[in-house]
Amino acid sequence: MDWQYLSSNSALIWSKLVEHLYLSITPILIALVLSLLIGLFSVSFPKVYPAVLALSSTFYTVPSIALFVMLPGIIQTNILSPLNVIVALSIYSVSLLVRNVVDGLRETSADVRQSALSMGYGGIRQLWEVDLPIAMPLIFAGLRVATVANISMVSVGALVGIGGLGELMADGFRRNYLTPLLVGLVLSVVLALTADLVIVTLQRWLTPWAKFARQA
Amino acid sequence: MLFDDPWGSPVIEFENVTKRFDDGAPAVDGLSLVAPDGEITVFVGPSGCGKTTSLRMINRTIPVTSGTISVDGQDIATTDAVQLRRKIGYVIQHAGLFPHRTVVDNIATVPHLLGWDKKKSRSVALELLERVGLEAGMAKRYPAQLSGGQQQRVGVARALAADPPMLLMDEPFSAVDPIVRAQLQDEFLRLQQELGKTIAFVTHDIDEAIKLGDKVAVMQAGGTLAQFASPAELLSRPANDFVAEFIGRDRGYRRLSFVAADGLVVSERSTVSTDASADDVRRAAGDAQHVLVLDSDRRPAGWLAVDGGTDASTAAMLDIGTTFTSSQSLRTALDGALASPTGEAVCVDDDGRFVGVIDHIQIAKYASTEGARQVPT
Amino acid sequence: MTLIDALLQFLSDPMNWSGSRGIPVRIVEHLLYTFVALGVAFAIAFPVGLLIGHTGRGAVVTINVGNAARAVPTFGMLLLVVLLAGIGFLPALIALVIIGIPPILTSTYAGIRGVEGSTVTAARGMGMTESGMLLRVELPIALPTVIAGLRSATLQIVSTATIAAYVSLGGLGRFVIDGLGQRDYGEMAAGAVFVAILAIVLDVVWVLLSKVAVSPGVSGRLGKIPKTAGRTTRSATEPA
Repeated sequence: MDWQYLSSNSALIWSKLVEHLYLSITPILIALVLSLLIGLFSVSFPKVYPAVLALSSTFYTVPSIALFVMLPGIIQTNILSPLNVIVALSIYSVSLLVRNVVDGLRETSADVRQSALSMGYGGIRQLWEVDLPIAMPLIFAGLRVATVANISMVSVGALVGIGGLGELMADGFRRNYLTPLLVGLVLSVVLALTADLVIVTLQRWLTPWAKFARQA
Repeated sequence: MLFDDPWGSPVIEFENVTKRFDDGAPAVDGLSLVAPDGEITVFVGPSGCGKTTSLRMINRTIPVTSGTISVDGQDIATTDAVQLRRKIGYVIQHAGLFPHRTVVDNIATVPHLLGWDKKKSRSVALELLERVGLEAGMAKRYPAQLSGGQQQRVGVARALAADPPMLLMDEPFSAVDPIVRAQLQDEFLRLQQELGKTIAFVTHDIDEAIKLGDKVAVMQAGGTLAQFASPAELLSRPANDFVAEFIGRDRGYRRLSFVAADGLVVSERSTVSTDASADDVRRAAGDAQHVLVLDSDRRPAGWLAVDGGTDASTAAMLDIGTTFTSSQSLRTALDGALASPTGEAVCVDDDGRFVGVIDHIQIAKYASTEGARQVPT
Repeated sequence: MTLIDALLQFLSDPMNWSGSRGIPVRIVEHLLYTFVALGVAFAIAFPVGLLIGHTGRGAVVTINVGNAARAVPTFGMLLLVVLLAGIGFLPALIALVIIGIPPILTSTYAGIRGVEGSTVTAARGMGMTESGMLLRVELPIALPTVIAGLRSATLQIVSTATIAAYVSLGGLGRFVIDGLGQRDYGEMAAGAVFVAILAIVLDVVWVLLSKVAVSPGVSGRLGKIPKTAGRTTRSATEPA
């Protein structure tokens, strides 16, 4: 471990860390919005859900490097554009999240559904005040998995020149120089664990009831 | 005025109501009955008899296929479903509480939907919390932190929050253990005495139906009504074999709950006071094996066995068992007789003072007379 | 020239279909890496998962290792192992095995742990031995979860094996990496397409295998259940 590397390259490391965060979190935000819309649509029209599920699980199966290099041909971007990574990771995150959104929206038990209906709930108001809050724990669980997966996958983007911390790893490997590789690896793990912690904290704050519900 | 409604004291009426599943099989078939205002009408029957479907048609969460359901003469099909539902409290098995809302917010659900201001909703909710027997400290808890019985109480409070004139209750006490269930039933009856709502109640438990119902609708497979009657009439005159079978073997005994004990003729009994000497006891007993000991207010204190040299103040007395008053039921009287060491039930007046005794043979004889067979309505 | 044209051009060149650098050989190589890595990972993770699931000992460690493993970037892990152990088949294989272990371990553990206590108690009450119980009761019930773990491990390994071309291994990743390096986008796209197809095919194989291997009583695929008392019961099948 070469500590000198850290001090002389702190600006580079910092910029790669920020880039890594940007490349992994932007797709999460895009995917959250998209999967909520697709999820609501799938719940409203259950017949489309098997197709949605088949499509998303197929996308999820495609290795990330394959998607990174095929996307430019499909969406007409430059092969070195960060958009490829962002779009690819958004697709993965949607694939992961849609299932959790739909399962979450279906989480409302028949008893709760019947009593909500009987008290005069229905439509958007039931969705907003009953179904969505009850779906939150599962949506958050999906967000955690997707975020950690994205932070890991961004590094693969180094192969197409857009990899955040993955570029440090690749640089270290090419130069047979352990320090940048370790720095990239460790920072990526720290980033993933920190992001996970942030999401868990947010979840505890937004769904204080969930910890009791799990015990019941 | 908590609730502004056109149905002060509504009657719910089913007129030839049929509900068919998508495949054409009837869930409810030609149901006609009138659930009287301010009373509890229980729908009872085996699973799949259409009792829950009948209940859910009242608040239009299940549409009727044919026939009409009306509330105080108004066909519910002509009302706005959501407005209708907010005027009908609803309690369900497992309570169906919102897991993401605190107890107080759960209770305030309908006021919230009706757009009441927050302060008013909360104060009504807290008041109801107390009324259903829960501590104010529970208000901030989440449903998952409550026991099944407590959740059920919250469920009842939630149904009452907007003071609806009607309540629908679907197996509300079925998911809790028997001891809690009995408590909830007793409290529910007490609450209903104060509130006088029109209540439609579904259960699969005939004992619960008989205990709670002012009227009982026994339904059978295929969704037909087997009998609609008061509990006493159901027990004494089941309409057919299905009803008789469903009520069970000991209906003759259970019927006694609905026959008043005021027709019983009690007899005198030799008694002694608590400070009687052994001689007093022997003299009072005569040929009898036991004497009844009364305290200074002439309230029964216990039975005393006359087996030589005992005085009332030192001897161990036998438990008096259950006493009864003339306003209680034959079942209470018979129970007292069967539990008594002498086979005699002790009758007391409303102040608990001794009136007389009657043995189990006399009670049984009376139960089979014409007078006791008259069914109260 | 569009990417599609380049791809078609690459595919239509018979040179690319023959020899030690041809498409068939690369496919076989890729499959070989995947199967060997998966096999070794299974041999290590499955017994440990069974043991932990059955005894409940070491569960906390397993869950934490499983979760932490997801945070480690596979790319960095591969580079690190190869940098430390040298270029070659074995170091790359070690990296693929390390990547395959956590999903198999955690899902085996979770599957066994998920068997209802009453089922285990009943089996023990009937006098089954601990090992008999594990193999004939707990494992069949846990099988869908175990297979889900294998599926996930396969996916990770196929994906990382592609990247392994970057550390001089063969397989379909060769086309992607070489194509990228030489700006031969046809070759690159061909590698990507084949690896995507390979991953999807293997995934489908696992789904089919799961359908064959899992008892219908566990998966819920019981066919049509006759109607009783006018009520219909839907069987709980779910597309995977």
